[in-house]
Amino acid sequence: MDAVNEPPEGPAPGTVSVVIVDDHGIFRAGLRAALGPAIRVLGEAATVEEAETVIDGVRPDVVLLDVHLPGGRGGGGAEVIHRCTRRGVPSRFLALSVSDSAEDVVAVIRAGARGYVTKTISGPEITDAVQRIASGDAVFSPRLAGFVLDAFGTASVAVDDELDRLSARELEVMRLIARGYSYKETAKELFISVKTVETHVSAVLRKLQLSSRHELTRWATERRLL
Amino acid sequence: MRPPLLRTSDGVIAGVCAGLAAHLGIPRSWVRVGMAVLTLASGAGVFLYAWLWIFVPTASDQAAMLGRRSGPAAFMHDVGATGHRNDDGGRAGVAGLTSPTPGSAAAPSGQGPAAPGAAPEDPTPAAALRATGDRPGRGPSAGDVGPDRTDRAGRREILFGTALLVAAAVLVVQLLGVQVDWGFLVPIAVVATGAALAWSQLDDVRRARVMNRAGAERAGGALRLFAGIVLVIAGVLVALSSSGSWTLTMATLVAVLAVLVGVGLVLAPWGLKFWRDLESEQAARVRETERAEIAAHLHDSVLQTLALIQNRADSETDVLRLARAQERELRQWLFADPIRDPVSLAERLRSMAGEIEDLYGHPVTVVAVGDAPLEPAEDALAQAAREAMLNAAKHAGVAVSVYLEAGPEAVEVFVRDRGPGFDPAAVPADRLGIRESINSRMQRHGGTAELRSDADGTEVRLRLPRPTGIPA
Repeated sequence: MDAVNEPPEGPAPGTVSVVIVDDHGIFRAGLRAALGPAIRVLGEAATVEEAETVIDGVRPDVVLLDVHLPGGRGGGGAEVIHRCTRRGVPSRFLALSVSDSAEDVVAVIRAGARGYVTKTISGPEITDAVQRIASGDAVFSPRLAGFVLDAFGTASVAVDDELDRLSARELEVMRLIARGYSYKETAKELFISVKTVETHVSAVLRKLQLSSRHELTRWATERRLL
Repeated sequence: MRPPLLRTSDGVIAGVCAGLAAHLGIPRSWVRVGMAVLTLASGAGVFLYAWLWIFVPTASDQAAMLGRRSGPAAFMHDVGATGHRNDDGGRAGVAGLTSPTPGSAAAPSGQGPAAPGAAPEDPTPAAALRATGDRPGRGPSAGDVGPDRTDRAGRREILFGTALLVAAAVLVVQLLGVQVDWGFLVPIAVVATGAALAWSQLDDVRRARVMNRAGAERAGGALRLFAGIVLVIAGVLVALSSSGSWTLTMATLVAVLAVLVGVGLVLAPWGLKFWRDLESEQAARVRETERAEIAAHLHDSVLQTLALIQNRADSETDVLRLARAQERELRQWLFADPIRDPVSLAERLRSMAGEIEDLYGHPVTVVAVGDAPLEPAEDALAQAAREAMLNAAKHAGVAVSVYLEAGPEAVEVFVRDRGPGFDPAAVPADRLGIRESINSRMQRHGGTAELRSDADGTEVRLRLPRPTGIPA
């Protein structure tokens, strides 16, 4: 992360600062305890308005954001992302949700979150995910990869830079992630570097966020998402 | 099949003759000559032409009409698109329009005290209110737009035609020498038209409601309603016929009209308020029912499980198992995808995963891309996958990932765990598990099974080719 974004207290190098946004105190406390020593929690918030103020105030590297939040105009996590983006907050967002319904996932990812994990995730896993997000990568759970494959279709195209389709390699990566492979295992399976896997995943995330693909819209409309 | 009667755009005047010729399958010139000949018969052709011009739609009209019939989908799409941009409960509105979605079922939970935070949709009360409030009124009518409109257009034409036929019959009768009492017939026609107009103003839902309130769905009620209407008409007729002269009648009519309009103006706000109160009261009742249903469900499932968990607090595996099972059950209840087929391969795998989760206490997550109907081959695939999940949960003792991909060429299932792994060759020959349950089962249905195990874990890959020609 850029030095600009480091909190003024000057923490040890390599630590990642986070803000936890969730309307359940118990969950916030549990998450705070589960995060490893390399993660510094700068603040917590329970509503959309609180989140906006806290995040804008401390500007953490990563915001752990619940998809469902009270307050605001009822937009939940996606609204927090919109508001913070409007204010020019450079923080990255990792969406957390108890639900794994496509509706929640797609809305918050398209709002700009760089990853999505369910709340049943273990302590080491969430720590790893936060660090990954902080370094600019995307975090895809198997289910998110499944949604992507469902939405974009499993047929590959040769064109790499097309927004509306996934390249053959991106499809392979998504398939392996959906099968429960970690980035490292995916890299090993495809004989590519972890960095390359990360690049592919980020490219897919970008497509998911920017694509106005007809099929994606139809897929989402069928599921009443858009 | 005969082409539909439509006006064409390449006609001489309005495409009536061309359209008619296409419809009847005869040359255009014949139709045109026929029209001209009919025109000589005291202008009948002109009238026929004008009639068809008015009532026969053009091809583009028809297309627009058809477009409207598939309207709800397009409408949903429009609403959805704006809803996404607004974020402020637009989605709740969509959920409200399509009543049995999980969203609308769950929206009130944001409001209900019984489930704080369980609201999957949009937790503001306003959105919840909208989601439920919109349903009774807008839901059905929005869905009915297409067929209803065309249906009514047809009815209107039939009514109009009937009226003209009656008028013509009366004229003929008069020509034949029968004395027709116009002073009697005209008021009846006016009153009947008025009543028909007023009735057609109500849409189907309101009409049903009015019928319902008047008790008209029963034979006795219908009779009462009909008798009332007849009495009103009779009263009007008596008032009219007693006056006799037209000027006096007109004056009376104007006076009556003035009084009615005045009364209407005075009473309209009251009526409107009454109507709104009624609607909001109905919405409140719907909300109350849903809340009661949610409370009942939470009591039966979640509270019972929480009590069990407190009892078994000393056994970690029991607690974990109970929590997972309850989570699954609640999730199913809250987010069940309405488009999911309950007897599909994906659902089968999900329920198997849940079963194994309950048995061994290790989470088994299923990610499905595409789906397939549960034919015998798919059932065998599911059984093989179950065996693989069972092995993983039993021997690896960690979380299990299941991935289903149903494409046009093949259905594939991957069962993966991150356990210590094992050597397939070292498994004793008498152990049926992998060999019989997985390999043979797949082979019998033309599929393949592959097992890979190393220090990183074990993965079973099942592949069932699909006969070509079956869409994904």
